[in-house]
Amino acid sequence: MSAGSTDTAVRTGRITRTALYLVLLLFALFYLLPFAIMVINSVKPLTEITGGNMMALPQDWTFDPWVKAWATAQIGVDPTGLKPYFWNSIKMVVPAVAISTILGALNGYVLTKWRFKYDTLIFGFMLFACFIPFQIVLIPMARILGLAGLAGSTPGLVLVHVVYGLGFTTLYFKNYYQVFPTELVRAAQIDGAGFFRIFWRLLLPSSGPIIVVSVIWQFTNIWNDFLFGASFADFDSQPMTVALNNLVQSSTGVKEYNVHFAGAILAALPTLLVYIVAGRYFVRGLMAGSVKG
Amino acid sequence: MSFLTIDNATKSYGSVEVLHRVDIDVQEGEFLVLVGPSGCGKSTLLNMIAGLEDITSGTISIKGKSMNGVHPSNRDIAMVFQSYALYPNMSVAKNITFGLEMHKVPKAERETALRDVAKLLQIEPLLDRKPGQLSGGQRQRVAMGRALVRNPDVFLFDEPLSNLDAKLRVDMRTEIKKLHQKLGTTIVYVTHDQIEAMTLSTRIAVMNGGFIQQLGTPKEIYDTPANLFVATFMGSPSMNLIPVKILEENGGLVAETTNGLGETIKLPFAAPPTGLKDYVGRTITLGLRAEALTDPDGADSKAVNLVTVKNRVIVMEPAGSDTFVMTEFGGQDCNARMRADVQVAPGEDVDFTINMDKVVAFDPETEDRIV
Repeated sequence: MSAGSTDTAVRTGRITRTALYLVLLLFALFYLLPFAIMVINSVKPLTEITGGNMMALPQDWTFDPWVKAWATAQIGVDPTGLKPYFWNSIKMVVPAVAISTILGALNGYVLTKWRFKYDTLIFGFMLFACFIPFQIVLIPMARILGLAGLAGSTPGLVLVHVVYGLGFTTLYFKNYYQVFPTELVRAAQIDGAGFFRIFWRLLLPSSGPIIVVSVIWQFTNIWNDFLFGASFADFDSQPMTVALNNLVQSSTGVKEYNVHFAGAILAALPTLLVYIVAGRYFVRGLMAGSVKG
Repeated sequence: MSFLTIDNATKSYGSVEVLHRVDIDVQEGEFLVLVGPSGCGKSTLLNMIAGLEDITSGTISIKGKSMNGVHPSNRDIAMVFQSYALYPNMSVAKNITFGLEMHKVPKAERETALRDVAKLLQIEPLLDRKPGQLSGGQRQRVAMGRALVRNPDVFLFDEPLSNLDAKLRVDMRTEIKKLHQKLGTTIVYVTHDQIEAMTLSTRIAVMNGGFIQQLGTPKEIYDTPANLFVATFMGSPSMNLIPVKILEENGGLVAETTNGLGETIKLPFAAPPTGLKDYVGRTITLGLRAEALTDPDGADSKAVNLVTVKNRVIVMEPAGSDTFVMTEFGGQDCNARMRADVQVAPGEDVDFTINMDKVVAFDPETEDRIV
């Protein structure tokens, strides 16, 4: 693909190239602008925002809005800042991502290497999960969480996200393991490795790229989720997104836009970080399943 | 009691039977090759011995113990796969010792076994590498090492050489044969390459359409094929098949056919198979190997019954060690294997000598050899 584009690039003239880069640059700026405004305004005193230009660089650089958003801002009834909610999100995201990824890998392993009757049908149902809108499951899910005694708790949220993410992770791992040679599994069987041993020692260590895909996908979705967090969490288990909403919506006193911007960036930071660290494996992993399969 | 017994084994997928009543006894130390075209059931049979596929009916036993329902890892077998199936995430050393580890062999013992096998196969410098960093031949060695280290009762090879290039394939073939002679292990080997089957085996089972067509030593298979399928599948070039009419003359049997010049020729049998008498007056198929049809100087001097006839050369193919000459008998193209230095040209009429000791006769309807 890259070789092809280089070929055509050689043939295009200097002017076309310049134009191309200009357009690309313009688009990049267009996408970066909102983020730039958020960053700029998050390091300004509030007076500069209310009394002046949103686009202007700060005259007084200050990190007070960040500190405030993190530690002391009024959220709901308590002036706790986003800090406790950040940890709520972490406590929800880490287990949910880990469990849904591991279960997805196991499902993919069984669906490709331990085929059974009606397995394609079952996979079809699991795929269905990818297409069900969040809103539809709210009420049944609330009932189930209530019955399980998990309503309003972090484990409850973990369960919701695991169930919801399983369709996607299963799809990823099934596609990936589809092209994993079955002869390897047979060789391991003859060598005396059992079901789980083959999974842990052979398949999982060979699944790096697809694990990255699954983790990025699940992390981004679960971290950014607002609806489930708002519906199923109590005050002491609310995730970051809900807290951010409460921060911005709180009606007491003046709107502290600089604090809101800082809070929003704080809420977006983890997903950004995950993508920067693992992003280059993301495309590689997506390709690995699709090209050969 | 034989070492590996396949007794009346069949395999069905649903209502389709793909393997019909297979009976094979393998003695200890034997090298049995299952050969046949793709889809003949040879790999299925191997997988059944390995325990990777169930047996629909019948039994497979090793050392007198029935293996039906026994897990592959408890059968004391080792298998070398066509794709080598090396674990990509493990080093060569780990690949080789993985099976021992799974069977809870102590670490020190594993190390000793690994060193012995690495030395035997000359892969000592490769032990720390990953399979991805090895060449095809090296992977093949590692795959064999993984099988050897277990020291199993039976080795199973599933087309292990078909992924190698032509030259390496011949080298590895010799190496496998050497290993077998050195270790004296029992081997069941699947291939579709009839030369591999002939060179490696002590016995061959030729399979087609889920049936064992013939089970015998390479010489038996080559010289006295049980039917037309075996005759044409084994040997390169494949056996010449000539329609002939059987006549009785002077108390002996004669095969009558035509040569490429349109003349009628008669080929007297020296020691015809007893069943051939019943075919007097009828047309049968005469099987003639390329080396039994040659130039007069190249004919086997020990043969009892040589017949020389004139015939026309259609095509000449020098192969270095031999010259293949195509001619025509009974309207069928026939390959003759002549000496390398023979002087013939296409269109020329030359003498061909037929070694009648080596001919085999087939019933054209049942396709079985007439005995």
